[in-house]
Amino acid sequence: MVAVSDPILEVDGVEKYFGGITALDGASFDVESGITGLIGPNGAGKSTMFDCITGFRDPDGGSVWFRGEDVTGDSPSAVANRGVVRTFQIPHELPEMTVRENLALAPRDQRGESLVASWARGDGYYEDEQRAQRRAVEAAERFEISHVLDTPAGELSGGQRKLLELARALLTEPDLVLLDEPLAGVNPTLEERILDHIQTLAAEGYSFLFIEHDIDVIMEHCQEVIVMHQGRVLMRGEPEAVRTDDRVVDAYLGGDAE
Amino acid sequence: MALADFLVSLLTVVSVYTLFGLGLNIKYGFTGLVDFGHVLYFMTGAYVTVVVTLPVAATSYEGIGGFALPQLLSGVPLGGLLAWFVAIFVAMVVAALLSLLVGVPTLRLREDYLAITALGIATILHTVVNDERWLFNGPFGVRDVHQPLAEAFPVSLGSFLVNLAVFGLVSVLVLAYIGYRVGDYVYGVDLRAAAMAAAAAVLVVAGLGAAALGGALVLGGVLVAVAGVVVLARGIGRADGFGRPLALFTALVFVAWHFGTPFFTAGPSGVLASAVWLFDPTAGADGGFTYGRFVLLVAVSFVAVAYWWCERTVNSPYGRVLRSIREDEDVPEALGKRTFRYKVQSMMFGSALAAAAGGLWATHIAFIDPTQFIADITFFAFTAVIIGGAANNRGVVVGTAVFWTLHTGTRFLNDYFPTEYATQLAALRVMLIGVLLMVILYYRSEGLLGEQTYDTGVAAEEGGRSE
Ligand SMILES: Nc1ncnc2c1ncn2[C@@H]1O[C@H](COP(=O)(O)OP(=O)(O)OP(=O)(O)O)[C@@H](O)[C@H]1O
Ligand SMILES: [Mg+2]
Repeated sequence: MVAVSDPILEVDGVEKYFGGITALDGASFDVESGITGLIGPNGAGKSTMFDCITGFRDPDGGSVWFRGEDVTGDSPSAVANRGVVRTFQIPHELPEMTVRENLALAPRDQRGESLVASWARGDGYYEDEQRAQRRAVEAAERFEISHVLDTPAGELSGGQRKLLELARALLTEPDLVLLDEPLAGVNPTLEERILDHIQTLAAEGYSFLFIEHDIDVIMEHCQEVIVMHQGRVLMRGEPEAVRTDDRVVDAYLGGDAE
Repeated sequence: MALADFLVSLLTVVSVYTLFGLGLNIKYGFTGLVDFGHVLYFMTGAYVTVVVTLPVAATSYEGIGGFALPQLLSGVPLGGLLAWFVAIFVAMVVAALLSLLVGVPTLRLREDYLAITALGIATILHTVVNDERWLFNGPFGVRDVHQPLAEAFPVSLGSFLVNLAVFGLVSVLVLAYIGYRVGDYVYGVDLRAAAMAAAAAVLVVAGLGAAALGGALVLGGVLVAVAGVVVLARGIGRADGFGRPLALFTALVFVAWHFGTPFFTAGPSGVLASAVWLFDPTAGADGGFTYGRFVLLVAVSFVAVAYWWCERTVNSPYGRVLRSIREDEDVPEALGKRTFRYKVQSMMFGSALAAAAGGLWATHIAFIDPTQFIADITFFAFTAVIIGGAANNRGVVVGTAVFWTLHTGTRFLNDYFPTEYATQLAALRVMLIGVLLMVILYYRSEGLLGEQTYDTGVAAEEGGRSE
């Protein structure tokens, strides 16, 4: 029982300063398996927190632990290889590469990714690449971008880029997926499908930490919610508790929530 | 110098710089690394190859070595050639290690800083090589460059006629094959574009021909030639296919130049000499196959191997990671690829190819000194790669050929102007290339061929092809 409730990600007093701006002011929280929401007003430090967790920025203080190991200051690829993958708030598609190539890039530990293997093409090279290609096609189908498989990613619409980014992240078979506003700009039907998909994956054992501004989505899909405000964690709790918390209503939800 | 000799020398230079450009393309075209210090590895390759094969205590050489590898291997059959290959290999390894040293600190920098730092390091090392005589003889350069098998040339097969027949046949076959490939490519060009390309070729050739006659014809001839280029530009603008009319134009100009010029200067025998270009009637008693032509074949073989090697590298998951780094390094990092390693490897691979080019260059030119390795060489290669189309290995071949043909081929203009204008003309020729580059970037920013397509080698039914 202890193992189950152990947090997979622990953020301990992380600080980040940009010149005079305090983006993260000693934020601490734990993430357990399942789906966790991260909410907070614009500029609260949510994206910066993602950067500090995934190694894209070195925190100026505090530490980050994944599955009991200190990953503070590790390179992004090292963090990713431990099983933490992230998406970006502004999609980072690879514009001159096709959607197919964007996706086929993602699976980890492909044999043909080493320089010598790309020359020698020995055992497993073709099988591995076939697998990567097949998975790329499957992912594209699941996220409804298979009709643009051979289009350069730079020609996709904003929503399609979001989908590509999500599909690509999931192809790395991560333990924990950090999604930075994955639903922004996606149409409602597709939004439902993505959320269903996240639910299915969560049931399969993937964990999610996702930033979202739509409180209804958070209420419906998250087991836990973390609220950030001015670089700190305002509170962490179950969705219902968060929604009715006075501090959260004041800082973020305003009059819209009952 | 016969036209054929000029052609051989031009093709050798094009081959050497194509090899050099293929290395740059790995770094810049496919990985996005703006290495303004690429010539450093060319210089390294040239000096290492030369010094490893230089005799001990060569006359008027006061630098490190020589290590006299050919003499050490003189007991082995073809020892001189073997020594040369070993030297090239050593040069590639040394250049790769040097680029590792340069790359580890600089590749962590943002890309614009990489460009400046790489240029700085290359310039510093160039200055050191130039100023320190104890290193590689400084500004005096290195003579006595080992030219493997040179003693066996010119190769003669017995009599003049046999030489003419055999080497001539090979020459004609090579021309025929190239003609066939060009024709195959041009086939299907729409009629109007073909007509315009042909008209443009006639105008250019006639114009340059008139200019070549000198006197008052120079200005008019040049104007007619320019008119030809304008017609060509319009023809290309109309055709949907861009490369085909251009290839037709180039082929026609080449034929006119290669066969027409000697016809006017030497009559039918001149045409024959151009057709059997691999045969040099003036070499030795019976004519034969010269060393320069042999070096050309070696250079072309190097390019063929390097081309295949680069294609294999970029048409793979490895190449996909390289391109993802070029597009946005954060993405492969976030997906768990150790991009720093890839960038270092890309530098090392590209630099090793540059070093092989340097070794070939030294063998071709037979004397090296620091003036041959100035930063211009890097920028020439960037220009060639961009003209042909960055991230396109075939584009490197095309771009390098266009660049060096213009650069070297326009040298004949000097003959028709008073000598006091030589410096201005040299500058004008570089400007001409600059104008070409601007025209290409304006009308076709992706270069003549644009980025190539990729195929990781998994069959299309499996979804492995990308167009
Ligand atoms: N590169 C940067 N340089 C300077 N300041 C930055 C930088 N990135 C973020 N900040 C600042 O840090 C604070 C937190 O920004 P962050 O992007 O993490 O907010 P966020 O919670 O993701 O907001 P949003 O909901 O709008 O995406 C903001 O005040 C922002 O201006
Ligand atoms: Mg944000």
